[in-house]
Amino acid sequence: MTTALVFSFVAKALFVVMFGMNVAVILTWVDRRQGAVIADRVGPNRAVIWLPRRLAQGMVAGPALLLAVGVIAFFLTNKAEGVERMGRALLFTHLAILATWLTGLAIAGRVRARGVNAEAGAVVANLDRFFAWLGDPRIFVYAGLGAHAVTLLASGLLRGTTTGTSLREVAYGASPAIFAVAVAGGAVYAASSFTEDRVGLRLFGLLHPAADGLKTMFKEDFVPPNADRFLHSLAPFISFFPALVVLAVVPFGDTLCFGDKGGKIDFGSLARTVPREGLCTDGAVALQVVDVNVGILYFFALAGTGIVGAALAGWASDNKYSLLGGLRAASQMVSYEVTLGLTLIGAIMVYGTLRIDEMVRWQAENTWGLFVQPVAFFLFFAAAVAESKRIPFDIPEGESEIVAGYFTEYSGMKFAMFFFAEYVAVVASSALMAAIFLGGWALPFIERDGIYLAIGDTVLVRQSLTHLSVVLLGVLAFVGKTLLLCWLQITIRWTLPRFRYDQLMRLGWRKLLPASLVNILVTGLIILAIASASPSVMNALRIAGDMTELLVAVLGIVALGALVRFVLAPAEKKRMVVSSAQKFAAALGGVKSARMGA
Amino acid sequence: MAMSNIVVGGALGPNKVSGKPVKRPVRSAGVQSYVPEIAKGLGITMSHFFKNTKEMVLSQRNDPVLEGIDDGINCISYPEQRRPYPERFRGLHRLTHREDGSVRCVACLCCSTACPAQCIHIDAGEYPEGDPRRGYERFPTRFVIDELRCVFCGFCVEACPCDAIRMDTGVHAAPYDSREQFIYEKDTLMSFVGRDGTQLTANPRHEPGDSTHPGVDREKHH
Repeated sequence: MTTALVFSFVAKALFVVMFGMNVAVILTWVDRRQGAVIADRVGPNRAVIWLPRRLAQGMVAGPALLLAVGVIAFFLTNKAEGVERMGRALLFTHLAILATWLTGLAIAGRVRARGVNAEAGAVVANLDRFFAWLGDPRIFVYAGLGAHAVTLLASGLLRGTTTGTSLREVAYGASPAIFAVAVAGGAVYAASSFTEDRVGLRLFGLLHPAADGLKTMFKEDFVPPNADRFLHSLAPFISFFPALVVLAVVPFGDTLCFGDKGGKIDFGSLARTVPREGLCTDGAVALQVVDVNVGILYFFALAGTGIVGAALAGWASDNKYSLLGGLRAASQMVSYEVTLGLTLIGAIMVYGTLRIDEMVRWQAENTWGLFVQPVAFFLFFAAAVAESKRIPFDIPEGESEIVAGYFTEYSGMKFAMFFFAEYVAVVASSALMAAIFLGGWALPFIERDGIYLAIGDTVLVRQSLTHLSVVLLGVLAFVGKTLLLCWLQITIRWTLPRFRYDQLMRLGWRKLLPASLVNILVTGLIILAIASASPSVMNALRIAGDMTELLVAVLGIVALGALVRFVLAPAEKKRMVVSSAQKFAAALGGVKSARMGA
Repeated sequence: MAMSNIVVGGALGPNKVSGKPVKRPVRSAGVQSYVPEIAKGLGITMSHFFKNTKEMVLSQRNDPVLEGIDDGINCISYPEQRRPYPERFRGLHRLTHREDGSVRCVACLCCSTACPAQCIHIDAGEYPEGDPRRGYERFPTRFVIDELRCVFCGFCVEACPCDAIRMDTGVHAAPYDSREQFIYEKDTLMSFVGRDGTQLTANPRHEPGDSTHPGVDREKHH
């Protein structure tokens, strides 16, 4: 088991580090997107990897064909009987419907965007004409959702009847085939629509930050002549390291329970349902790199170390602007650290623990921290933005006053480390906020044994899920919440102007700090009041907690629906060729036959 | 202080205060706390972000850079193929000729004076004894342009009173391997041909001694 423990530790650490760094890279992309949005232009999408056509076709079609073949093979080799047969028939029916309407939507959207592709061959062209004839791509969404609903209704109504049984048999046999055909067909269509010799891989411009990161490694590493060479080189590491390791105490998912089969790990337990109450004792793997019982203190201790890097960089650079920037960074971070810590006191009083995973459990059981400590959330968010030294609190690097502050004299990879540390710090603070105020991995009405929709003692919906899917859903929820908060911070950066230095200090010491102290006082009074409350009041509070979960669930579904609706809204694009080069081409008798890649 | 004196009183006297009442800024709790305005601003940023990102990802938005160069010209095999320059493109300078093939320039130094880059150097010389132009005009013994220093502003062409310098060659300064090769002497500048294929200009030139010469000359005293 020790090998397994070491392995799980390494895997978790790798996950957390990769999560932090990758999200930071994506954040730089989002940041650039916001910059593009301000100027209403197209964002960073110039970085491109050209793939030969065959390779691109293989990359698109290969995995999909493998998936299709795998599903068929699974269906042929594994027979399910009894209850399991019904479950599998339902699952594959939904998968088939999903794959069909997604494929149809994607193809119809492509056809609508670029017209019928006459160059790609008769089959594709005719298919394109068919999809163009079908019209609005959104009909696929409506039809698909309708099919899901019909399937759900039919499975509920016809359960146990003979029609139901025969339908089940049809679904059991046909749905894997339909799924395989839809997936493979969509992939083959996508592959066959590549008509040029090379295909550009752009990933929405995500390669751009990657290319930038690569570039910084090869840039000159300049150290000012009179700078302290050692400290100058050390500072970026001191700044970068804590930002990354603070993530170690943030739990990113519920505890995984592996069974113990005679000294061996029983992976089969992941596919079973675990009891709702209580945690497994042996074979438990907490999805958190280090499980310390002073988690939150560790977080603050290390997060506070980051300023040493900034201050050191300012001092070691032998530059007055750097020194001013370093001093500003130090004073700002020390000021806001106080608020940051004190706002959490209220939350800690409510949760009664310093362990972040137990805080999440409390929230999963009762309600999200956002609802019990709304003021603390607001104050913490403001202080966390200030702590990451980003606009509107980027006094330490205020370009208009002190060039670039403490990293004025940095270049190449060392500069990139400061830059990157900032983004990783955003990820870390967002992850902490997600864990403490937004319920971490907890989703409304999803318990350890599955979906359990209940208000008070009234149970509305109950559906058991396997342990693995519950935990995976939790991890996804945590990642989603973290991304949402990260994005909110980036949006703030692109919305607000910078504070003046005295305004910053006044906000920290005279507004946020007293507010956090008042928050502690009020929280204490309320906790005392609740401690001596009657059972009926406690019951009302419990129902109120369930109502907040319901609110979150409804809001989430509404937001998701609005997003889908927004994404599917048609936008007609007109090709715009205005360049003088085009006029010259026309003057020379130029023809529009070949595309030029840039 | 000065402001208050002007606004209150003024010519109307101390008791007759007139003027437009200025609305005081609203200082409600919402405004002072800055929070509603932040939320509003965030909403605007978010809506633009969603719209712009969606249109970029789904290729529903014009990309001026990619589309600007994707216009049918795939590749130009320079120097065998060249992109045509606009009609009024300012290329290398040329010194225009007179009918007899001599330089049109009268070495008035207007161009070198107007030149912001100071890249034109002219040594003026007198025509030899007996030449009808002697005493009326001079000619450049040396006319040098440093094409590397030139900013191609066209001021020299504007300044020239005799249409003697032009930038209508349609030739851009090609790279050479040393700085000296960018120093164009008079004979080089005179060897260039305009886009119309001639070394002359369309403007007529009336030499001293011609009957069409409008000004004062030796024969026509005023």
